[in-house]
Amino acid sequence: MADKKTVGHAYNIDFLNVVFAASSIFLFVSVLWMVWDDYDRGWKNYQRRFVQLEAEVTRVGLEAASANVDAVVLEQLRADRSTAEAELAIQEEQTVALEDELADIDAQLTLAVQRHNFAKATYDVNKYSFEVDREGDPESYTDQQVEIAAQYDEWLELGLEVERLTAERDGLRGQLAEIRRGVTGLDDQIDALTSETSRLEGRLVDLAPNFIEDYLLNAPLIDFLAPSLKVQQIITPNIFDELNFTRVPKIDRCTTCHLAIDREGYEEYPQPFTTHPNLDVYVGSASPHPLETTGCTVCHEGMPQSVSFRDASHTPSTEEQTHDWEDSYDWAESHLWDYPMLPRGMAEASCAKCHVEEVHIPEADVLNLSYGLYERAGCYACHKTTGFEGLRKPGPSLMKIKAKLTPEWVADWIRDPRRVKPTTWMPRVWYNSNTSSPEDVRRSEAEIDATVAYLFANSEDHEFAVPVPPRGDSAEGQAIVESVGCLGCHVAGDETRLGAGPRRTFGQALQNIGSKTTYEWVFDWVRNPQHYSELTYMPDLRLTDREAADVTAYLMTLGGGDPRAAEATYDQAFSDSVLLDYLRAIVPTAEANAMMAGMSSDERTLELGERVIGRYGCFSCHDIDGFEGAQPVGTELSEEGTKLLAQLDFSFLDIPHTKIDWFENKLHDPRVYDQNRVLQPLEKLRMPDYGFNSEEVQLLTTALMSFQRSVQPAAALMPGSARQDALRLGRALVRRRNCIACHQVENDGGDYRTLVADPSLAPPLLTPEGAKVKPDWLYAFFKGPITIRPWLDVRMPTFTLTDQHWNQVLDYFGAISNTIGEFRAHTIVSSRGGSVATGSELFDLLRCQQCHVLDEIPADQPTENLAPDLRMTPERLQADWIIDWLRDPQSIQPGTRMPAYWPDFPEAFYPQFDQDGEQQVRSIRDHLLTFSGGPRPVEPVVEAGDEP
Amino acid sequence: MDAIKDFFNFFADPRVFFLLTLTGFILMIWRRDVFTTPRVGYGLQVFLVLFFGLGLFDENFRLIVAKPDNVPIVGLVFLLLFFTWYSMRQAVLNDRRLDRGEPVEEKVEEDRVWVWPDLVYTELICLVLCSVVLIVWSIVLKAPLEQPANAAATPNPSKAPWYFLGLQEMLVYFDPWLAGVVLPTLIIVGLMAIPYIDTNPKGSGYYTFKERKAEISIFIFGFVVLWASLIVLGTFLRGPNWNFFGPFEYWDIHKLEALTNVNLSEYIWLQGVGVGLPSNWFVREFFGIVLLLLYIVALPVILARGVLKTYYEKLGPPRYCVGIFLFLMMLSLPMKMLARWLFNLKYIVAIPEFFFNI
Repeated sequence: MADKKTVGHAYNIDFLNVVFAASSIFLFVSVLWMVWDDYDRGWKNYQRRFVQLEAEVTRVGLEAASANVDAVVLEQLRADRSTAEAELAIQEEQTVALEDELADIDAQLTLAVQRHNFAKATYDVNKYSFEVDREGDPESYTDQQVEIAAQYDEWLELGLEVERLTAERDGLRGQLAEIRRGVTGLDDQIDALTSETSRLEGRLVDLAPNFIEDYLLNAPLIDFLAPSLKVQQIITPNIFDELNFTRVPKIDRCTTCHLAIDREGYEEYPQPFTTHPNLDVYVGSASPHPLETTGCTVCHEGMPQSVSFRDASHTPSTEEQTHDWEDSYDWAESHLWDYPMLPRGMAEASCAKCHVEEVHIPEADVLNLSYGLYERAGCYACHKTTGFEGLRKPGPSLMKIKAKLTPEWVADWIRDPRRVKPTTWMPRVWYNSNTSSPEDVRRSEAEIDATVAYLFANSEDHEFAVPVPPRGDSAEGQAIVESVGCLGCHVAGDETRLGAGPRRTFGQALQNIGSKTTYEWVFDWVRNPQHYSELTYMPDLRLTDREAADVTAYLMTLGGGDPRAAEATYDQAFSDSVLLDYLRAIVPTAEANAMMAGMSSDERTLELGERVIGRYGCFSCHDIDGFEGAQPVGTELSEEGTKLLAQLDFSFLDIPHTKIDWFENKLHDPRVYDQNRVLQPLEKLRMPDYGFNSEEVQLLTTALMSFQRSVQPAAALMPGSARQDALRLGRALVRRRNCIACHQVENDGGDYRTLVADPSLAPPLLTPEGAKVKPDWLYAFFKGPITIRPWLDVRMPTFTLTDQHWNQVLDYFGAISNTIGEFRAHTIVSSRGGSVATGSELFDLLRCQQCHVLDEIPADQPTENLAPDLRMTPERLQADWIIDWLRDPQSIQPGTRMPAYWPDFPEAFYPQFDQDGEQQVRSIRDHLLTFSGGPRPVEPVVEAGDEP
Repeated sequence: MDAIKDFFNFFADPRVFFLLTLTGFILMIWRRDVFTTPRVGYGLQVFLVLFFGLGLFDENFRLIVAKPDNVPIVGLVFLLLFFTWYSMRQAVLNDRRLDRGEPVEEKVEEDRVWVWPDLVYTELICLVLCSVVLIVWSIVLKAPLEQPANAAATPNPSKAPWYFLGLQEMLVYFDPWLAGVVLPTLIIVGLMAIPYIDTNPKGSGYYTFKERKAEISIFIFGFVVLWASLIVLGTFLRGPNWNFFGPFEYWDIHKLEALTNVNLSEYIWLQGVGVGLPSNWFVREFFGIVLLLLYIVALPVILARGVLKTYYEKLGPPRYCVGIFLFLMMLSLPMKMLARWLFNLKYIVAIPEFFFNI
């Protein structure tokens, strides 16, 4: 035990005193430390700093507001007020007397009200007690009943007293107000003039440093009482956090630091004080996503309850920012929250949480583009994705490949498609990062040859509609290709894939098409695409044989390309060993050997081809004989954005362990996670390489992050309606048929405008189409398009949509203008009416014919001034819309050349109808409705027996 | 440096680790006079301080050891070693006094109890210092909270609370009903039974080893070697997929261990006799059952007549039976572990027909 023993002690007490003193000091210091640790929070500093910023901004606002106040008027008002006050002073004696009297009455009234209340309370209590007693013994309580009746009368009397005093008081007040009216009226005027400045001044006073509010109440240990620095939170009742076993409303504490996120005026300040960059759409109180109900993290993700920079799961968007944050905020990847914040630029991925299964979400430009790319790259073909079901296969049918291509070209092509057509979406299946060893290359060549052999052996024959096509003129052909609209969907020059965009790479690239196929095939295809491939989306441009020949001649001049040559050779024995690998994966080795022994060498090649196509999933994108109904080969991606990190294999790759990094690396090189691994050929990753550039990778990652498991309740989603459904279906359809490559709808698309010298030479905007044209006319136009704007070279092709789809398009236009399903009166106008005559008069006065075609194209007008043929009006346009259009064309189609003839509608410059704009417009409309004889949509020819 | 790390990683292999603790245990009992010298005591603590202190420079080591959940176990290592050393030291000192014919130290000043101020004052100081430690601990180490629990993504490794890690380790070698139900019950029952089995009055109220060699050795073996060291092992050395990782090894979730285990019946029928497994479970497991009965029934009898004759006579049949049963049960854990490591033995008796696996 103890070494130092005195008589009465086991320990040296002096030493223990020292130990006790030291440990007490430690305890004191650690308690102080504890208090400080609890008090010292990063967010408090942001709130302190913000007070200064707010004062700064308020001061600027105050200066601006003061400048707005008319000083002369204010001075005059103040002077008037002084005068009025002086006048009031004369009546001071009277005023004082009135005020005294009022004070007296007020006191009496207060007492009377009290007495009245007491009486009522006593009456209620006694009444209740009487009711209870009487229930027990109905006979014997008459005394009590009399007493209650008396109490009731007393209460009524006291009420009368209150009423009398109230009336007396109001009378006195009225007298006083009357005397003071001059002053109070001026006060009101001054207040109205200075309301903004006095509000801001008051705010400045609040913001000025104050010992009690800013220091004492925020001091350590006292700051639980009523601190001015406190955590701010938004609880969103309809938006939930998924906590695996339960879902709870989100509690977003972001605004604890992001203090001005919903306030204008802080745009120039750095984070976290800056204003949201798009208050019209997000966060703003008038926006569709106000802060109070939407919060922050439903879009941005991150740990909503945390108020520390690191635990809130902020995600840097660049490497530079990462280092910066590591230095400034001690930032590190947070592994304690499954949904870290989305990096800047990727937040739109969250739109899909509530905008479920929408291919196009207005204002979400990044997400829309990323969905466009996702669709164009054909990701959905191998990877089942909710919202992308039932789409056609992204690649062309290979069922008649024999008539179109040669085996040599196909082998060159699939070895590396982008070497042949730089803008193609066809990915590279072989010669990738995990198949680059000499052995792998040999194997690849064997697989490529077998695949080609299979495709050609299983190809149907095709008879060209014109066996010996006429020869055309390539210069003429080039002019046609560049003018009729081919380039809306096809890229012919040396544009980049993303530069051209998903809409203009909708059709196969025309690059180097001359060395791909034959003149006969191109002619057959251009003349009528459906002849070769019934299900193609390529529309009929109604080219004459002569034009088709010219186009063909031009396309055949587009030669070149630098295909990748085979980099290895192999013999039959090697190709057999490859086949054996494939077979052993499905049957025992002995059986596989027996199967192979029973085949000729050609059969073995075809068998290998079939296995290879099955493994790489070529059939997912192309129709291939023998693979009808085969299941897609990729992982389903419908909930990929909410996939847990633990479900992703980072293998030996040294990258940050985040979902986004995993996706980005995968998209850059789909085979990258095979690096440094020992794998048998059939164990290797097989996703082909699309050669995505960084921007494409970023966009596709955004799309992937948007594929979320549905967590949000119905109350958070867009309310369902027929109109919403029509919008959703229509938006998808006009994108999937690429209408928006040529037409702009809902401020999206219309890429064709970049291909013409002037926007007026591009296909028309279709946003107002639903309100503008009659659905039955539009339907007829879809079926048999006619020339509406004769000055345009580009033409509306004939599409092969089903009636169901055309109806979706019509409903979509109707839904945009909210005229869906409306019955409208057929306005039939008699040409003899007086209104028509005045209309005709105005029609001439306003010189409508100067720009509008009326059988003939007006002479000497630049194309941008030209407008459609008015003879079509009665059949084509909605009668109501014509009125809206004439009144205010700019509101319907901003930037239109149509002049606003009634800028101050209903006032008018023109004398007709006593300058009544309403009647004038109506008369012009009536006049237009008497026109006839314009072009009409061509009735589609229906063969007898066909479905009409 | 890497060589040193590899050296320690090598010792962290469960087989080596177990042999090492076992050797340490035997050495400690055998050379207790050396073990209990202050030089060895300080030496061991200094070694541990150096090991943990220098080890912290390694990222993988730091991740495991400095994890807020695991910090108490680090403390446990130091405290366990200290108290084992201290009690052994006191025992050895008393044994020497007894050898010299002197009374034990606890009996020397039997007439005094130093309560005031010695006991009360030191208790107060301990109270203050413990408060300091707890406050500083709570400031410096954040509460080890994790993300919301998810049934679809359980933590890997999923570890029991530290005091159950010994049990979890047993699950590797035994069927769950044995490791999770029977053995823990026996531990509790056994602890309750000990006072009735061990009626030796010596060593009561004072430290001694000589007078209670078997009792103390069995206790230290059961508590330190089998229980506490398995907690340490489970905390620091069991990583993802319950695989073993050296203290300086990266916890790679992809690390694989070749674990192909074989039942005793398969050894006997397939490899020994060279025929297929009999279809009747009793015939198939006959040898295992015989072995088991030999261990539980025959062995105590043989021991009572041979090595443990004196004990048998001293304790009498009922105490002997209960005591030897508990002892054999305790020993079954290291034996099964050895059998697993040496022969890849899965079960001695495996009757999946009615979930009876031993």
